[in-house]
Amino acid sequence: MLAFIHATIYPISSPKIENATLLIQDGKILQVGQQISISADAEVVDCQGQVLLPGWVDAHTHVGLWGEAEGRASYDGNESSGPITAQVRGLDAVNPAHHSFADARSIGTTTVQTGPGSGNILGGELLTIKTAGTIIDRMVLRAPSGLKSALGENPKRFHGEVMKRMPSTRMGSAAMLREWLIKGQEYRKKMDQGKADPDLGLLNVVKVLNKEIPLRVHAHRADDIVTAIRIAKEFDICISLEHCTEGHLIADYLAEAGFPACVGPTLGHRSKVETQNLSFDTPFALYKAGVKFALITDHPFVPIPFYNIVGALATAHGLPEEATLRAMTLSPAEILGVDQRVGSLDAGKDADFVIWSGHPFKTRSRVLKTYINGQVVYQG
Amino acid sequence: MKLAFINGELWTVSQGIVQEGTILLENGKITAMGQNLVLPADAKVIDIKGKIVTPGLIDSHSHVGVMEESIGWAGDDVNECTDPNTAQVRALDGINPGDKGFEDCLHGGVTTVQVGPGSGNVIGGEMLVLKTAGTIVDHMVLKPLSGLKAALGENPKNVYGGMKKMPSTRMGTAAVLRNALLEAQTYGKKKAEGKEQATDMRKENLLKVLSRQIPLRVHAHRADDIATAIRIADEFQIEITLEHCTEGDKIAELIAEKKIYAAVGPTLSSKSKVELKDMGYQTPVLLNKAGVQFSIITDHPIIPETYLHIAAGLAVREGLPEDTALRAITEVPAKMLGLYDRIGSLEVGKDADLVVWSEDPFEFMSKVCYTVINGEIVWQGGKQ
Repeated sequence: MLAFIHATIYPISSPKIENATLLIQDGKILQVGQQISISADAEVVDCQGQVLLPGWVDAHTHVGLWGEAEGRASYDGNESSGPITAQVRGLDAVNPAHHSFADARSIGTTTVQTGPGSGNILGGELLTIKTAGTIIDRMVLRAPSGLKSALGENPKRFHGEVMKRMPSTRMGSAAMLREWLIKGQEYRKKMDQGKADPDLGLLNVVKVLNKEIPLRVHAHRADDIVTAIRIAKEFDICISLEHCTEGHLIADYLAEAGFPACVGPTLGHRSKVETQNLSFDTPFALYKAGVKFALITDHPFVPIPFYNIVGALATAHGLPEEATLRAMTLSPAEILGVDQRVGSLDAGKDADFVIWSGHPFKTRSRVLKTYINGQVVYQG
Repeated sequence: MKLAFINGELWTVSQGIVQEGTILLENGKITAMGQNLVLPADAKVIDIKGKIVTPGLIDSHSHVGVMEESIGWAGDDVNECTDPNTAQVRALDGINPGDKGFEDCLHGGVTTVQVGPGSGNVIGGEMLVLKTAGTIVDHMVLKPLSGLKAALGENPKNVYGGMKKMPSTRMGTAAVLRNALLEAQTYGKKKAEGKEQATDMRKENLLKVLSRQIPLRVHAHRADDIATAIRIADEFQIEITLEHCTEGDKIAELIAEKKIYAAVGPTLSSKSKVELKDMGYQTPVLLNKAGVQFSIITDHPIIPETYLHIAAGLAVREGLPEDTALRAITEVPAKMLGLYDRIGSLEVGKDADLVVWSEDPFEFMSKVCYTVINGEIVWQGGKQ
């Protein structure tokens, strides 16, 4: 049993507690609060003047498979050999030894969703993992945690422009997505009749149609977001809106549709036409409209060690601090379907938390220790 | 136009911090600064109690206006990748003052930038220094030719190796650079001897480097590329600056010994290439310990100009003294660009370029309340 005492604790699921205690045992949280009796055999850590938060949950990253400083040999971000690769799994490409994991732990990010990029209409399986470990299969919280899809510029550039094949327009992209959802429906019928031959890609499409996993749709521009919602309604599937860069322009429509958004990477430049309205005003606008959303880095597009800066800037643009912290912890955990395990400091959840020297949005604050499953995985 | 900010905490850079200070701006210059100043009756007075004033920030390495954002191919004019030596081209001719990047500058308190071609070519072309507000680029120019851009490392060999042309290796890149300098030397000799020859714009610019009228500003991330830049500079007795200098911390003693300026960054970005493998905020910290003079840069749009103050803040978090971090985005780049007589500190007689911050500018959440260029408020933040 381990007791962290005298800390300022942000449980997220309830308001901030001063001079509080966090009690953990066997990798789980036992208790959080002020009047907690600590058994004599517990090891006590004094956190006077320090801030204790759940580990960040980054709902959209490419941690472990984008290559980056390891060069082309390690790039496994997009299986761009065809526009439909629903059969591929991020799981098979994520390298736990990649520097992005150490980078994640260094800023207190303990859970990430990672997986394929946005080159394809159906990009493959996403997975949600803890950020410490050597065997990827043992780091998994949920796999698959979604099927990646993409609208907008990327698929039409990867395939139309470079490879001279469909899709070369937004019309083409939407048509291909519909075609494959219809194929999935037909495949499901055959499955029900016991007549279906195994098909890895269509099995994943069926999971989407059965709402076992959401389709996570890359959509920056407002019209792409609206297309994603249109198709989701047509096929009665669950989606999350990935990036949602122009979400602030149609926030009420988003709120009415009821789908969650993963907003970012905002701490970057407007690298594409579809990101011309990139702004830290987006999270505040979604908050005001009542949309459930998470803040994301899209690592490496915003490097994961700068996640706290993303939160600070969203707050500086009007988002209440409490809402910002939720958008970096509990909301992404809910969007990923892992909130029974992570995302807040509540009894019974995994002991994934971070001791900060001060408030995480202050420049001079540092991560002192990051814990995953009750174990120290980073020490500043 | 007379404008005065009163009750501010003035971070002058050259003369420490003035508490509850007043700064008076007239005709584009700073004309008075201090405590308890008597102001002209016709001055517009803005009370900035509790706020901090710094000089306008200077980014010594940017592609604002020439690498336009969010309009795709149509606005990308940063690399003339048709030949590895394009010493004759001018960034000036590719800059669009309508680029959103200039708004980013004003929102982030950046009032002066050096803009240059990218690093696709071994010799990329002319760089220039400009103020960040205006509609006619020629009117924004502070120094029309502030250096010649060169590049070592991955980029040129990626561009030309991909076309199966020289350079496809670091050896090739160094050879292309040496060869261009040698040919310009020969051209210069003939010119000095009065021999008739066709004017060659590329060689004319390289002659300016050889005669030390302008520096060669060399893109170099890895320690070996930095060492190559220094080797070639020694061979030709030219002045260089080290642009990026990502692994400068590994050979900080050499850089200090050679008294070469470094422009460090963009550290607030991803390790997108092999040559950025060891990128981190240890570089400015260790360069400082070794005594190297350096600026902190955004390399906009790689990091948007809005975040220059955050880049400096992260260096502070990693142990760079605050006054050094402030100098790295004001005084040092001004000196690197040969413009410290005009900009880079709050001093009477200098250009009236300043920023009013809601709080400590190194804080992530600090907001720009006012950006002032040449005595004019060019950006005013929302409710503070």
